[in-house]
Amino acid sequence: MTLRYVSSPEIPEGLAVRIEELSLRYKINVESKMTLKNAIMRAGRGEKRQIRTIEAVKNLSLDIPHGTVVGVVGANGAGKSTLMRAIAGILPPTEGRIIVNGKVSTLLALGVGFNGTLSGRDNIILGGLAAGLERKELEERFDDIASFADLPNGFIDMPMRTYSAGMYGRLAFSVAVNMTPDILLIDEALSTGDAAFKEKSFEKMRELCLEARTIIIVSHALGTLKELCTKTLWLHQGKALAFGDSTEVTDKYLEFLNVGKVSAALEDF
Amino acid sequence: MTREMKPSKGESFVPLIQVFEPHKASLPPMGPYLREFWRRRRFAFELARFTDKAEHLNSPLGAVWLVLNPLLLAIIYFMLVTIIGGRASAGSSPFDVLAHILVALFTWYFAQNCMTFGGASVTAGGKLILNQAFPRALLPLSSLIGAFQKFIPTLPVYFIIFLVGGALDSKSKLPGLNWHLLWVPVIIGLVAISGFGLALLFATMNVYFRDTSKLMTYGARMWLYLSPVLWVPEMINGWHQIIIWINPLGPILSITHVVWIKGENPSWTLWVGASSWALALLLAGGYFFISRERDFAVRI
Repeated sequence: MTLRYVSSPEIPEGLAVRIEELSLRYKINVESKMTLKNAIMRAGRGEKRQIRTIEAVKNLSLDIPHGTVVGVVGANGAGKSTLMRAIAGILPPTEGRIIVNGKVSTLLALGVGFNGTLSGRDNIILGGLAAGLERKELEERFDDIASFADLPNGFIDMPMRTYSAGMYGRLAFSVAVNMTPDILLIDEALSTGDAAFKEKSFEKMRELCLEARTIIIVSHALGTLKELCTKTLWLHQGKALAFGDSTEVTDKYLEFLNVGKVSAALEDF
Repeated sequence: MTREMKPSKGESFVPLIQVFEPHKASLPPMGPYLREFWRRRRFAFELARFTDKAEHLNSPLGAVWLVLNPLLLAIIYFMLVTIIGGRASAGSSPFDVLAHILVALFTWYFAQNCMTFGGASVTAGGKLILNQAFPRALLPLSSLIGAFQKFIPTLPVYFIIFLVGGALDSKSKLPGLNWHLLWVPVIIGLVAISGFGLALLFATMNVYFRDTSKLMTYGARMWLYLSPVLWVPEMINGWHQIIIWINPLGPILSITHVVWIKGENPSWTLWVGASSWALALLLAGGYFFISRERDFAVRI
C-alpha cells in the first residue's frame, strides 16, 4: 500500500467515499497452471504467454455520503467484488481515483484470517490484528465481539473446524462490525446466519448508520437491499446502469433479469 | 497510488482520508509504507505464534521435533562424512566434525525455513490478501519470525553438546567458552536479514509460478551440499574458494565455523562478504516483492 500525506482535503465534507471515473482492468493468465515448468516449455516452443484482460469496472463515478447504506447488485462477473476491493485499497485503480474518508472494515472473503485448527478466541485476535487493531484494543473489545457472535456455550474455545457455516459467518461478521469502522464493506457475507442473527445484524448496521457510519453491501438478496439500503448501485459488465433509490433500482434490475418479483432473487436467506 | 491525508491530532498514522490512484510498477513511497509495516508488526508476530500453535496442536512431540529433526539429520550426515568420507581419520576429532555439522546445519535450517515458509506465505495467505489492505511484506516477516522461533531452541541444545562433548573428547580442538562467541548474535542477525530477503524473493516468485516451492525443495538440497555445512571452508583452496563467495550463505556459514569451531575472530573479508550478501538479498527481495505486491490480489 502506498501512502502519502497531503495538506488539503480532496473530498467534500459529508462524503464517505468519492469515486471519480474509476476503471479497473487486470490481466489474467489463460493457462490452467502458472508454473515455471510451463513457462520454460512455452519459451522453448517460442510461444507467447496467453493473457486475457478483464475490464471489471468501466468509468464509474459515485459519491457516497456518510451515514448511508449502499447496496450493490449485478449478475456474476459484473465487477461488484472488484469494486469493493478497490474501495478497500486492495486493488489499485487502472484509471480514475477513489477517495475514502474514514477507517474501513471489510468482510469481503468469509473466513478471513480464520484458522480452523485454532479456537474462536484465537481467531478473533488474529482477525482483529489483521484488520489493523492493536492487541490492547482487541482485548477491550473481545467480550463485545464474542457476545455479538452469540456462539453456543463453550464454542468460543473450541477449534473453528467444529463450527457450522452459520457460526463461522457470525463470528466473522461480529469481528468486522466491532472494529468500529467508519465505512463497512460487506460482500455476500450475510447469507450464512439464521433469521435471528439476520435481524441482529440488521439492527447493528442501522445502529452504525445512526452513528453516521457508512455501509456498502454486495448482495444478491434483493429483499435485504430493499429493506436495509438507502441507495443501490446496479453494475452490469463493469458499468453502472443505475444508482439511486433502492426500491427503484432493484425493481429495474429484476425487470432486466426478467424473472419477476416473486422469484428466488427476493429470498434473502 | 494511494495517498493519505494528515490525521487529526492524537491519531496514529492510520489514514483518515485515503486516495487510491493508478500506480506504475515501481516502489511506493517507502516512508509511509515502512511506518505502516512497523505499526502492524504485532500482527506478524501473532500470525507466527498462531501458525506455530496450529502446527503443534495435534503433535504430541510438538516443539521437540524442531530440535530433533536437524539433530538426527546431523547425525546421519556425520556418519556419511566420517564413515564413508573418512574425514575423522584425516586428523580431526570425530566430535569436532559432528560439532561443525551441527552448528552449520542448525544455521542452514534457519535460512532454509525462512525460504520455505516465506515462499508459501503469500499464496497461503490468499484470503487475507483478498480481504485486507496491509503491507504484504508482513507475511514473509511472519515466516521469518516463525523460522527464528524454530531456530532458537536449537541453540541451547548445541551449546550443551559443544561444551560437554568438547570436555569429554580429549582429541577435540573445540575452543570452549571464549570471547569470540559474542559474535553469535551478529551472525544470527545477518542470517535473519538474508533469510528475510530470500523469503521476500521466493514469496513473489511463488505467486507467479506455483511450482516454485517444489523446485525449492531440490534447489535447497543442492545449495546445502554446495555450502560449508558438510565440509569445512579450509578444505577449499585457491580459485575453488569462489564457491564460498558466490554462495549467498557461504560467507556467513564460514563465519559460523570460524567462531564456533575454531574460536577465532573471522576475517574482515568474511564479514564484508556476509554483510554484502545480506544487504543485497534484502534490497533485491524487498524491491521485487514491494514493487509487485499490489498485483497479488488478482494473481492469488
